[in-house]
Order: sequence, then structure tokens, then C-alpha cells
Amino acid sequence: MQAEKLELAIDSIRVRFGSQALTLAAELPPPQPWSSRTPVDRLTGIAGLPRGRLALFTGNGTCGKLTLALALLANATHEFAHAIVIDGGGFDPLTLLPFSPELGALTVVSAPAPEIAGEAAAALARAGAGFLLLMCDLPEHWLGPLESGANRSGTVLVAVVDAPDRALAHASSFSLGFSRRDWIWERGQMVGLRVSARCVKNRVAPPLGEAELEIRYPLGNRQLSDYHASVAEVPSPVEELLQCASAVV
Amino acid sequence: MRVCCGLTSHLELARRPDLYGRPVIVGRWDEHVVAASEETLPFGVIPGMALRQAEHLCPQATFVLPDEEATARIRELISSALYDLAPVVEVRDEGIAWLDISGVATAGLSIRGAHHRLLKAIGREPRLGLAPGPFSARLAAARARPGRLLRVADARDFLAPLPSRELPLDAEQLERLDLLGLRTLGSVASIGPRELESQLGHEGRRAVLLARGLEPDQLVAWRPPLFSSAHRQFGEPVEDREALLFVGRALCGDLADELGLRGAGAKHVRVRLEVESGDPETRESIVRHPLSSAAELFGLIGSWIKEWQPRAPITELWIELPVLEGAGRRQLRLWAGGDGSSEEVTAALERLQERFGEELVWKPTPHLPIHGEVARLTAT
Repeated sequence: MQAEKLELAIDSIRVRFGSQALTLAAELPPPQPWSSRTPVDRLTGIAGLPRGRLALFTGNGTCGKLTLALALLANATHEFAHAIVIDGGGFDPLTLLPFSPELGALTVVSAPAPEIAGEAAAALARAGAGFLLLMCDLPEHWLGPLESGANRSGTVLVAVVDAPDRALAHASSFSLGFSRRDWIWERGQMVGLRVSARCVKNRVAPPLGEAELEIRYPLGNRQLSDYHASVAEVPSPVEELLQCASAVV
Repeated sequence: MRVCCGLTSHLELARRPDLYGRPVIVGRWDEHVVAASEETLPFGVIPGMALRQAEHLCPQATFVLPDEEATARIRELISSALYDLAPVVEVRDEGIAWLDISGVATAGLSIRGAHHRLLKAIGREPRLGLAPGPFSARLAAARARPGRLLRVADARDFLAPLPSRELPLDAEQLERLDLLGLRTLGSVASIGPRELESQLGHEGRRAVLLARGLEPDQLVAWRPPLFSSAHRQFGEPVEDREALLFVGRALCGDLADELGLRGAGAKHVRVRLEVESGDPETRESIVRHPLSSAAELFGLIGSWIKEWQPRAPITELWIELPVLEGAGRRQLRLWAGGDGSSEEVTAALERLQERFGEELVWKPTPHLPIHGEVARLTAT
């Protein structure tokens, strides 16, 4: 009975305001993906980070979220004319060098206050910057202009925060929670960490569970530009079991 | 060239929408009729005839004095409303609006937009014509039904059967055309321009070109005024900064709406605070990239207000934009789809630097390491 009434209401709205007045969420075209060539692409469900939407990397302490964001940023500098970091005070461009960025495309906005960060992010998203990495909190009232600006221009937005406030969590379309599983030791030396990246929110596709990532730190006393850092996905124990089972069969 | 013409009633009549549907004659006593509503046409009233004669022909009409200033305001309003639909717009007091939509990617949207905006401004359905030039477009619009568009593909074929009195000639010249037996535009088009020039002077040559659909006249493009301002007078003098910010934000919104209509941006911003006693306090700045949205305007003006220390309570707040940039940027979008460009991002970064200081934005630049040194990055 309720379903019939709802259908009737939908029909009357469509008759009065046109067939496009109401659209089922399932019928909406998905946002265009930007293929970052990182393990995140698989987790979004659309083979890339959604353009024009806010992606959120969260997690407490050292858990690899910033390293992954830097890898994304470095890739973005090769593909966009403008890859911009909105920095609240913690960004060191030297940490980006191991990922071989194209520095000509990189710009850093050092915002001394969240209000300025919010305004800068909204203005740059509206202007059509290709990639924005947000490394600070944004005031709630700037999230709307940021979302709408990015939506129009197709800017890829990635925010890295320890724990998002409610407004930021609500504004995000894709949220990845990171937690450290263990450190990686080789020859008695710590060479990286193993983290679990879990999709905690996905508005662009059905959520796809989690992945285990291996993050390798740059090592040795060679020049920084020669260091090799990487973020790689490692098969989960379940996947390994399935592979073994298929081999047995 | 493709020109869309929107035909409405004379703008003098648009001042009095309450009189729509009734016979109305606009003019001054002892002078000529400036405008007459459609309802007076059956009585033989035409613009240009003596008002006494018009009164004699249609005594039941409502007679209204012309108001040139109000009409000019309506003309400006319509021009600014149509300005972002086409690169060249001309509006005349006679109720004619031309839009040159040559090269506009979304010409259909521009025509629909013109229809809606004219309807909103005048309160009556406009007649629309689309033709290769302003003359043929106007004649096409005159023959369209209210709210409909008449398209003309071949101007010469369309014009040929129309009467020659449609030509913009004075009464004497039209009479001479009649005496020459040139009663249709087709017959005017069939003779040489020099032949008619020898009869009617330069106007004769122009008449032949018009009749042939060659459209010798160009539209006189409307240009938005290069100054704008908004102000608010306070009933009680204001000392509260929050109230001032609130009013400032509202005024920025109004100005942004106006700039949006004109498709312009502010190159120079001035804020003036009239204080209770003493001279007004002023702050102004020239901006490198024009500001056009409410957020951009209030971003600058709000930051001034936040740090302003006025000497006395404020009685009036003025926001003036003395120099507006032409609408080039906005109009260029008529030819290009999509948003965002490298130039716009650079402009946005420079605007942020103008507001918050040069050090806000920097680019890491690599320095090639000398042997044994680690790589360095510097800010530029």
C-alpha cells in the first residue's frame, strides 16, 4: 500500500515537473574515476578515485594513510596541470621525492588557519585544479562550496585526517580507514609496515571490504631521489587460501 | 551571421503592465505619439502621428506621459539580462531586442533564455524571429505568434513578398517607392542599388541591400556600465562588527548577482563607511584578477571589515566597484563547454596570494644535489 502511494507520488512529481525531476540513485551515472595506479583503485569499486568527490583517508597514528596520499599526489603531478596540497602545517615536500613527482605541477598552499584552508580549497576546486590533497581540518561551512565546486570541475579531492569530524565524514563520498597490522623487519632492520585499509564508506559503488597494504620506507644513506619507496597490495590470507584451493582442484 | 530578434511592446508601455489589454497611447500634449498599444491599431493610431489626432481617433484610450528615464532603466535591465546569452546584444525602446548568436554553441538555449527573460521583464509573451540579419529577423518576429519562434533560412525569399513599407524610410520616401511601383521588397530587390540611390539618395541604396537580405546594418552592441555600487543606510548607527559583516555579505551577494547578469568582474574594490561624526573612512584595492562571485567579494571586503577600527558608530556602508572588467571571460564560455583551466587555477592562486600574502602559496623547486649532498627543495 505504501509502495503504491510512493509510486503515485513519484509519478505525479514526474508529470508535473518532468521525467528528470526524480531519479533513482541506482540510475544516476557514477562519477568518472581517476585511475591512480595504486591499490585504492580496487577498493573504490569504480577502478579509480572518484572525480569531483571527496575521498577521505583516516586512521590513528602511523598507519600509512599519508604515504598512500603522497603516492597519489606524486602520480597526480604527472597527470594534471595542477596538483595542489592544502597544508595545515605538516607537509614536507622532501617526503614526496621518493615517489618521483613532477614538481612543476605541484603547488603548496600553506594555510595558517582552517578558514583560509577552506576558502583556498573551495576556490581551487571551483577553478578546476586537477588534484587537491587536503592535510588539515576544514570548517564545516566551506565543505558545501568545496563539494559543489569539485563536482562541477571534476577535481579529485583527497583528505588525510586522523579522525574526521561528523561534517567531513558526511561530506566524503569514499572513506578508507587505515590501521597498522605490524612492522616489516628485514635483516634486523625495520623497512616498512603492513597496514589494513578498510573501506568504511562508499557512495560511488558498493563497499568492497578491505585490502592489506605493504608500505616500504626509503632506506640507506643514498640520495633521497634514489630511494625506492612503494605501496603495494599483498594478498590476504583468504585469497591465498582460495588460490591454493583452486590449484588443488 | 544568425540573429535572433525578440519583439515585445514598446518599453514605454512596459512601464504600465497594469494597462495591458486596454488601449493606451503614450505621448505629450501638442507632440507626437511615442507609443501605442496593439488595442489602438484598429482605430488607426500609429506612433508618430499628432497626439490630438490620436485622441480624436481613439478617445477611449488611456493617455500616459512618456518617462524617458524609466524606459532607459528598463532597456538597461533587459540588455543586462540578455547579455550573457550572446556576444552582441542590442535593445531598443521600440521593444526590439536583437541577439547575434553566430558561433554560439548552445544557440537553442540562448533563444529559450531570451524568451524567458523577455517574458519576465515585459510581462508579455515576446514574438521571436531567427534570420541571417537584424532586419529580416525583426520582420520574422513580427510575423511569429506570441511566444513562438519563426526561423528564416533564406532571407531574400522570405522578404520578397513583404510590403516595401517595412523598409526603414521616411513617409516621403515610402510614397516615392509607391509611385515608382515598388510595392514589395521583392520588386525593390530586383532593381539596382545605384538606380534607387539616384531616386532616394543613400537611403535608396541601403533599402535595396535590405530588400535583398544582404543586411548592411550591424548591431550596436550594448556594453555594460563600468561602475557599480551597493549601499545600506542604518536606521541606528551601528557599532557591532557582526552586524556590519552581515550587511556586507548581503551587499556582496547583491553585487555578485548584478555582476553575474552583466558577466563582468570587479577590478577595483572600494568600501566606504559613513560615520556618525566626521569624514567617511575608506579602504580600496585594485585586484589582479577580477572578482565576480559573492564569496570572492566578501572574502576581500569581509577581511577588511574584520580588522577595521572605525572612529565612531557607522551610519552607512558603501561598497563600490569603480572599475569593472569586460565580460570576455564569461562570454568566451559561450563557445567552450566544461569548467576549469590551468589559467583559472593560476588566477585563483594569485587571488589567494593577494588576500593572504605571497607566502601562502609556494612551489617546491628541486636543486640538483652536488656530489655527496642530499637533494634539497626550496620554495619559490
